[in-house]
Amino acid sequence: MSRSLRLSAFALAAALVATACGPAGTTVPPASGGPAASAPEGSSGGSVAPGPAGSINVLSLWGGSEEKAFQAVLADFTAKTGVTVNYEADRQTYSTTLQSRITGGNPPDIAIIPGIGFLRRFAKDGSLMKIADLGVDTAGLTSSYPEGFLAAGTVDGQLYAIPAKYNNKGTMWFRPDVYKDDGVTANPATWADYKAALDSTKDKPGAMALGAKDDWNLTDWFESIYIRQAGVDAYDKLFGAEGDWTDATVQKDVDTMLEVINDKYVVGGIDAAVGRAWTDAIAQVFKPTPEAGTFYEGGFVGGIALGQTNTDLKIGETIDWYPFPKINNTDEVTTFGGDVVGALTDSDGAKAFLQYLVTPEANKVWASTGAIVSPHKGVDTSAYPNDLVKREAESLTSASAIRYDGSDLLPAGIAGEGLGALLQRAIRGDKIDWADFQTRVKAAWDAE
Amino acid sequence: MQADPPGGMERVAVSSIGVAKPPEAPKQIGRRYDRTTLLFLGPPAILMAIFLVYPTIYTIALSFNRGRRGEFTEWVGFDHYINLLTGDKSFLDLGSFPPEGAIWNNVLWAVFYTSLVIFLGLVVAVLASRVRYESIIKAVVFLPMAIAATALAIIWNFVYAPDSNIGLLNAILSPVTDRGISWLGNPSLVNAALIAAGVWGSVGFATVILSAALKSIPSEILEAARVDGATERQVFFGIIIPMVSLPISVLAVTLLVNVVKLFDLIYVLTNGGPGTKSRVIAFTMYNDSIPGGQFGRGAAVAVIMLVLLIPIMAYNIRRFRSSRVT
Repeated sequence: MSRSLRLSAFALAAALVATACGPAGTTVPPASGGPAASAPEGSSGGSVAPGPAGSINVLSLWGGSEEKAFQAVLADFTAKTGVTVNYEADRQTYSTTLQSRITGGNPPDIAIIPGIGFLRRFAKDGSLMKIADLGVDTAGLTSSYPEGFLAAGTVDGQLYAIPAKYNNKGTMWFRPDVYKDDGVTANPATWADYKAALDSTKDKPGAMALGAKDDWNLTDWFESIYIRQAGVDAYDKLFGAEGDWTDATVQKDVDTMLEVINDKYVVGGIDAAVGRAWTDAIAQVFKPTPEAGTFYEGGFVGGIALGQTNTDLKIGETIDWYPFPKINNTDEVTTFGGDVVGALTDSDGAKAFLQYLVTPEANKVWASTGAIVSPHKGVDTSAYPNDLVKREAESLTSASAIRYDGSDLLPAGIAGEGLGALLQRAIRGDKIDWADFQTRVKAAWDAE
Repeated sequence: MQADPPGGMERVAVSSIGVAKPPEAPKQIGRRYDRTTLLFLGPPAILMAIFLVYPTIYTIALSFNRGRRGEFTEWVGFDHYINLLTGDKSFLDLGSFPPEGAIWNNVLWAVFYTSLVIFLGLVVAVLASRVRYESIIKAVVFLPMAIAATALAIIWNFVYAPDSNIGLLNAILSPVTDRGISWLGNPSLVNAALIAAGVWGSVGFATVILSAALKSIPSEILEAARVDGATERQVFFGIIIPMVSLPISVLAVTLLVNVVKLFDLIYVLTNGGPGTKSRVIAFTMYNDSIPGGQFGRGAAVAVIMLVLLIPIMAYNIRRFRSSRVT
């Protein structure tokens, strides 16, 4: 009796040790337990080693059509190098999964990283490898990628991540048929033109769709207005460590935003817009019988509208985009968003993957799927399969200045209300205490 | 009447701590602590130490630290607590009336969610017990319990959508409202809407527990009362309610603990918005720790949560003790 008990106690203890120390394998505990649930310390020794030789783990946030496109790149990589790839996609809880893996001492070899604040954090924590240490010719990269893109992957002067794909965030999506019916003949080029177009389409069927429940739609509005109204230099300053959110340009930006985001133009009113998902707003414009003529968001709207909302859409007839209207700018300037790729181990597979990813061939394979716009200079616009993506790529190469999505540049750890949440209140007419926000942003920068 | 496991667990707990001095002879006490006993107590004690005691101590220590990567990097004293309780209006804002912030939202949940679930559960249980198709009613009411909280939140996302071609509620109301009501986009409605979704998901649980409790009331007592001329109202308030008061308090404690832990519904339905109006404590803990990367601050929120749970737990333990005495 007592012998068998002892045996089972040993078995239990062995099982416990195995669970606690083994490379966690497939499942990672969810965050519901918070910090307390993270793996006990001391279990990380030695488990950073890559999986079986000749294979790498890639953690990504791309699922669906984005994943399909990336799989084409991965297949090409495996064909060229013989390294097999274990691909894992997780969009909803990406940051949770990645953080848990790193804390648990079992990071993926390669991680697709959304948001630069996120990148900075992992770089400063020492979790990310320097690109220069991975056998990539970093000096040569400057000739392959435009300056703004490499800057997005740079932390404290060191390159930690390769720009993978991007989207122009200065694309104003609209229904050409609605504009035509309402007598808007030329695409609005200035802010005044834009308001005039909204006025013309206001009741037939409606001016603008907005899904502000996803508050990043509002931060994109804020940034697009700011770079055009306050200028590129002010933009760089505001979204950097020396940014001053009490500056008059900030409230002026919100005031400009309220000129178009208000009950007069937004279909259903502001109240409803704050409770609406952004994909529902896309549907308001691009469903068979539109409720609104205009929707602002990045280049990825095209893929969603054509692929999910309404497959009968015709480019140039029922769906199209024009550049975000000029405000104070004379040159074309715009913001962009995108994901970068970094390595969390310096395994041979991870090195080979990053070395492959910066080649023009890899980017051509990817661009030809039509799912992405490649930042690589070696990709000719003829590589893109459709006109919407081609024009998006051209708009970024021809712009005089492009800047990374500002809210993604801000530190991730702003205590309390973030910029998006704050703008949700602002469009409802709340007065914003920018001094309070400034204190919290500053504290987050200082804590990085 | 009292469910067995809690009593059994308590017996183990008492003997392991050795608090209660049993009236038996000292010789028998010695036998209680022989090797077999320790062998039985060992594994649970080790499990508790690894998965409960260690993480708790780690979290408490972390709450006084910057906690980069969830490790100890720089001690900051009470900074996180001071900042959370005085400097973060999204966590606690006593400056406005009524107060606002995540803690206050948890108070709203504790009051309205708990009382509504118990009230509706009791109503359904009592009414259902008087009709022939009781099991069907109970099955239907219990159905939401079988839905994962995330799926439940997605369902309610469709119910609450502001446009009447998507939102069920606004579609029903569209004849009387000229514009859809933004249930989740309006700061003054959002918490009520969320609580309603939470209540919908939990009434079935209350119904089943209370229904079983009602069934356990001996019918002689009710008959005797009726024979003595008590009205149905008197029977309900004078006999039924007191006799199910223990299950009700068990239920209340369970629901209160659920409230303090509440996260998934908020995360999926509103992500704490609009602004930060629907945040709760557990949401702030997640938000500061994982996307925010401020593990020390997240740990401080977790400790505040723990402190709030202590009175509920203390009440629970005291009740188990007293119910054993009687």
